Amino acid sequence: MQLFKQNYFELFDIPASFHVDQELLIGRYRDLQSQWHPDRFASGSEQQKLQAVQVSSLLNQAFDTLRTPLVRAGYLLTLKQCDIERVSQQDLGMELLMEQMQLRETLEDLPVDDSALAALDALKERVNSKLQISEQAFAKHLDADAILDAKKSYHELQFLVKLLREIEIGEEQRLDY
Amino acid sequence: MALLKIAEPGGKQAQTIHHLAVGIDLGTTNSLVTASCGGSVETLPDDNGQHLLPSVVQYRDSQPPLVGQKAKAAAIADPKNTIVSVKRLLGKSLADVKNSLQYLPYDFDPARDPRAPAMLTVAGTKDPIQVSADILATLARRAEHCLKGKLEGVVITVPAYFNDAQRQQTKEAAGLAGLKVLRLLNEPTAAAVAYGLDSKEQGNVIIFDLGGGTFDVSLLSLQKGVFQVLATGGDTNLGGDDFDRMLVAWIRAQLPPAQQADLSLQGALLGVANDAKHALSNAESVTVQFGAWSGVLDNTQFATLCADLIADTIKTCRRVLRDAKLSKTDIDQIVLVGGSTRMPVIRQAVAEFFGREPLTSIDPDKVVAIGAGIQADVLVGNKSPDNYLLLDVNPLSLGIETMGELVEKIIPRNTTIPVARAQEFTTFKDGQTVMSLHVVQGERELVSDCRSLARFELRGIPPMVAGAAKIRVTFQVDADGLLSVSAEELSTGMIAEIQVKPSFGLNSGSIEQMLKSSQEHAKADMEARAIREGQLEATQLIEALANARVQDGDLLTEADAKSIDAAIGALREAMPAGSSNRIHHLTEELNRISGDFAGRRMDLHIGKALRGSSIESTAESNSTK
Repeated sequence: MQLFKQNYFELFDIPASFHVDQELLIGRYRDLQSQWHPDRFASGSEQQKLQAVQVSSLLNQAFDTLRTPLVRAGYLLTLKQCDIERVSQQDLGMELLMEQMQLRETLEDLPVDDSALAALDALKERVNSKLQISEQAFAKHLDADAILDAKKSYHELQFLVKLLREIEIGEEQRLDY
Repeated sequence: MALLKIAEPGGKQAQTIHHLAVGIDLGTTNSLVTASCGGSVETLPDDNGQHLLPSVVQYRDSQPPLVGQKAKAAAIADPKNTIVSVKRLLGKSLADVKNSLQYLPYDFDPARDPRAPAMLTVAGTKDPIQVSADILATLARRAEHCLKGKLEGVVITVPAYFNDAQRQQTKEAAGLAGLKVLRLLNEPTAAAVAYGLDSKEQGNVIIFDLGGGTFDVSLLSLQKGVFQVLATGGDTNLGGDDFDRMLVAWIRAQLPPAQQADLSLQGALLGVANDAKHALSNAESVTVQFGAWSGVLDNTQFATLCADLIADTIKTCRRVLRDAKLSKTDIDQIVLVGGSTRMPVIRQAVAEFFGREPLTSIDPDKVVAIGAGIQADVLVGNKSPDNYLLLDVNPLSLGIETMGELVEKIIPRNTTIPVARAQEFTTFKDGQTVMSLHVVQGERELVSDCRSLARFELRGIPPMVAGAAKIRVTFQVDADGLLSVSAEELSTGMIAEIQVKPSFGLNSGSIEQMLKSSQEHAKADMEARAIREGQLEATQLIEALANARVQDGDLLTEADAKSIDAAIGALREAMPAGSSNRIHHLTEELNRISGDFAGRRMDLHIGKALRGSSIESTAESNSTK
């Protein structure tokens, strides 16, 4: 089936770039789901149902991949035959590692009660602005086909996203969510 | 809203429907069936004009079972044969049932696999699937009578928090009742369908569902006819019953001291509390009376009494907002579902938190069934398919056990379904040809904290050095939220594959496989239990000996003490890891070695007792037996 041979950008008929028009993506995704969702084949044959589950699953997988910036970045690198699972210290550079360690220590040193909330907010803002810079750098490197640089930005994004998640968990614990 | 106009059963309107399909709300306490009648979806009544069917089945000797009101009336006189609240039993093991539910009057069939318990009744052994099937069949017969035709399919609602086994068994119950399931629909999604289509809402909707015993919150996005569930959360042990218990505690505190702790009053007090709670839904204050005592309760006081419960429901709302990465101000509508949302204290708390009044135009007891009826009408093909689409999520994470009894999540919760996700694993030992996979469901890190769905083995992996084999495990969740798992070995191109449907019920395609593997695991489970029992016995003996030595250590020779210590050491070493046989053997050994010591103690204490020693020391000798 043709759908399965296309990459996720082709599937939704959008340009293969890091900047994705979210409205357009959501619209295309919903159009295709309207066509392929198993609910459309609830009274159909077993074969139709099976195909619907497969295509609909593919659409969900593709949508989840393109919707989230980090996952999208990884996918773009994979399309460029870059192995994102393999990471060495040289890929990252000492400077990046030191900075990430520092940010992490800042988080760990915060008091465990809700007096840390303001500091958490500040840290979140700092990480978020770093995240934006890394995203822009990633897009620039990818457009220039500088795959190794793009890969470094990607790993930096990975660190930052993970750190953001930990900040959020820290917030949840202190707010007793 | 015109939605609840009741059509005459079997009236002219029904005949214009080409495909007959119904929605069924298979509830814990009551069930409902709905169908589209001339443009609107309505609940269908029985011959006596009753819409709610109590979810109760009474089994009788050589007669067909009674379902509904008559069965409910028999529950007190014939508790063993009258199954109530069977929904709570669906998908549960005997241990689950005994741990989580209060006293049940049924006799469970000892011959059944304890993972799929069944009740002994005068009409034979009945499992929760069969009981649910009897309720579904009753509703289907009612619908066919009302609609004057054969049903082509049904949509059955399930709580968003239902796990895989519970969904699977619901579907099997429908199959057993001879019904074709068009879709299992999450209850909150059904509620949104009921409101969404009628009022053409766009935006983000919170479904706040507080029933008698469970609580669910879902956040849905409605856009251009597409319903997308963004996040769900809830508490399976929070409901209207808890509010009753708070009221009981309040009443008890004001009763005469003799009555305060009298447990026999609990049933009567719950009744009084429940009445008061209902009265507060229509009045600002109510006089509560019990025996000679009476007191006045208003909604403000009630809110204070139940502050913790109310706070818990709001906390879940926060959590769901967070999961969906939205804030309170992003919410456009709030839909209330479940009888407990009639409480003004709940309505007020919800309105306050979200800063807007919830929708209440559809009866909260019927809204789920109405949504199911609408969806059934669409799925069977009566409505144009372009109208709308439901995109649901899986409410609980699905994963696999890895080294150290940890869970590797493969499909995180709130992922849109259907979904297929693959993950690669490798072998742990050189030449390993078998890999055993344990599929679990839940949010916790440890396997023991999650629900075990299935275990299966992948055999025939070509022998290679550790880490060389590549095993891809694929999880597929279909649109009903049901999981199937497959595994294949990739590195050599040799593919071994197995499908597992995690179900212990009837008529599943993989029943043979399940039976085979359950027999294999029965042995392992028995050994595990024997080990635990052996460990317990050994611990008790070691502790008893330690106590005895504190009291009568002077009766022990140095050589005896040494050999006892050695035996205790060997037993301690064997306890955590050894086989049940070895633990048992070493326990016997310790018993034998310490036999002389025990004998000398016995003589001493009997001697003391015969000489008329104090009560204290006699008691002491009893305690060391």
